[in-house]
Amino acid sequence: MVVLRDGMCPGLSEELVEAFRAADITTVEDLVSSDTEDLAQKCSVSYKALLAIRRVLLAQHTAFPVSGADLYEDLLSSTAILSTGNPSLDKLLDSGLYTGELTELAGGPGSGKTQVCFGVAVNISYQLKQSVIYVDSTGGLSASRLLQMLQAKSCNIEEQMEALQRIQVFPVFDIFSLLGCLHHFRCVGLQQASAGGGSVKAVIVDSVSAVISPILGGKQNEGMSMMMQVARLLKTIAKDFNVAVLVTNTVTRDGNGQLKAGLGQSWSHVPRIRILLQRLERPGSTCSSVRTATLAKSSRQPCHLKEEVDLQCWGRSEEQLYGMSGKRKLENTEPS
Amino acid sequence: MTTTAKMTENGAQLFARLEGRRSLRDIEPHIFPDGAGPIQGDVVEFHGTEGSGKTETMYHLVTHCILPADRGGLEVEVMYVDTDYHFDMLRLVTVLEQRLGEDAKGEDSGAVVEPEERVRACLGRLFVVHCSSSVQLLLTLHYLENTFCSRPALCLLVIDSISAFYWVDRSGGGESVAKQEANLRKCSELLDRLLRDYRIVVFATTHAIMRNYGHSAQADVAAMTPGLSEPSSSSSSWRQWSSHASNFDKAYLSRAWQRLVTHRVLFSKGEVTKDRKQVFSAACTTTSTRGTKCSSFYVMGGGVQFL
Repeated sequence: MVVLRDGMCPGLSEELVEAFRAADITTVEDLVSSDTEDLAQKCSVSYKALLAIRRVLLAQHTAFPVSGADLYEDLLSSTAILSTGNPSLDKLLDSGLYTGELTELAGGPGSGKTQVCFGVAVNISYQLKQSVIYVDSTGGLSASRLLQMLQAKSCNIEEQMEALQRIQVFPVFDIFSLLGCLHHFRCVGLQQASAGGGSVKAVIVDSVSAVISPILGGKQNEGMSMMMQVARLLKTIAKDFNVAVLVTNTVTRDGNGQLKAGLGQSWSHVPRIRILLQRLERPGSTCSSVRTATLAKSSRQPCHLKEEVDLQCWGRSEEQLYGMSGKRKLENTEPS
Repeated sequence: MTTTAKMTENGAQLFARLEGRRSLRDIEPHIFPDGAGPIQGDVVEFHGTEGSGKTETMYHLVTHCILPADRGGLEVEVMYVDTDYHFDMLRLVTVLEQRLGEDAKGEDSGAVVEPEERVRACLGRLFVVHCSSSVQLLLTLHYLENTFCSRPALCLLVIDSISAFYWVDRSGGGESVAKQEANLRKCSELLDRLLRDYRIVVFATTHAIMRNYGHSAQADVAAMTPGLSEPSSSSSSWRQWSSHASNFDKAYLSRAWQRLVTHRVLFSKGEVTKDRKQVFSAACTTTSTRGTKCSSFYVMGGGVQFL
């Protein structure tokens, strides 16, 4: 609803707004949908002036079509693929998080959603030298864990600090502060919102379900409406600022006992890529860092692709990774 | 309104009206019943749950529209209104390249045009516009009237999806249902006029988010399922099917919109075959024909493949 006010466009004077109001026209939609000739007679303004006002208001509030060829050109030059730093996760995502897209990690408690978020944040800030905005709605962000991951990658304290500087944390604890936070990004721009150097390439929200699920339920629309507004803001931020958006969600079980992402049908349409994280049930090992990741939704790769993701991967340096595998090989060759 | 519209008609408008736009009757015989494909002035609704192949099918149809005639396409222009911020250009280009490559193989050495160039030429026939609220959608549709008027080759308007603002409008309109639906109603009325005046075709997707607890609809869908041909197992698989898909086929959008729809295609996710391929199915009903046309397809790397 865009209410008509004087001064919105040249020629729209206070008297004219009053005259429109008398003719039951208070918003731009009303004016645009009404019969111009009829209205010109009712409000005793010239048809030409009214047509000009209509044209200007329409141009102010409409979205403009872009040629597909231009859009493709833009996309080719601006799309970046951000590696998550985990080879098996990258494989599922077709080499990483794409800017302009919303990716969802769904999983039960302890399935490693937050660890993956940490790992992605560290990798983008340390390896790719880009800024990350981390919206933390669960209080689960642990700076010491981030530092631990960084220490594994570099011994240089300055480098570690620089990388941490590039991760901007925004704590939110309810839907209103999340909406406020996202609106703030949208209005002032992501670059201004983050103080650290480097351009912002990723926005991580851990987790959306923590703030959205409390407002759902019952026969009320407000909760659904706010959920869809969060979805819309995240998608417009991804598209307009060309950043990758990563959100986490809980899981529920459907009628057949299959795991599916939480927040219901309306939300299920929102993410473009969805990865389902699960603990790996292996007899004998109680506390393993390996999770299975299943691709539940994607427009690039066949769905139901499965990979094993080792959460400790981010906590290791390259040499350690190599060393570990060597050690494991040794163990295997030993006769027991 | 019509009299004033005719009075202010300019040359381009007259041309667009008289020349007539192309019919999309044969756009995809797999989906639409024989001879009952969408013609000028028709509205096709694609309805389905998340991941049931709606968007993929839309890319398939859009690709067919923008492909040049010598490649088996319709060579018409398409306006794609993206309200979900969901449109994936890279995916569309993949599908497009696949189709262009496929045809090139058939005739091996012809006039060799750079593939990049050909893709660009096709994409030049596509226009994309993003809308972020129902008000903006309404105003954009008003604005697009001029575009339809000046481009007679523009035959197809895609709205993906028309249900995008449903919840926001529901809550924004207060208690009164009329107010909640006001924007969509106005959009529908405008579309109705655009359909009549410019003879375009509209494809719109709606998200299946409402559960349907009624039984009659389930019976309809069960009767038209292609996979249920064996009569022996019909009763058990009947129920299974119903619980899977049809309980989300409830139409929940404004009556004004429902009245416009001439073709309705219901999408659902089927079983996974032995070679781990997901089968999708589409069931199309129209106002002009009786019965339902069913089709099944895979989604492959290069787009939709009908069975």
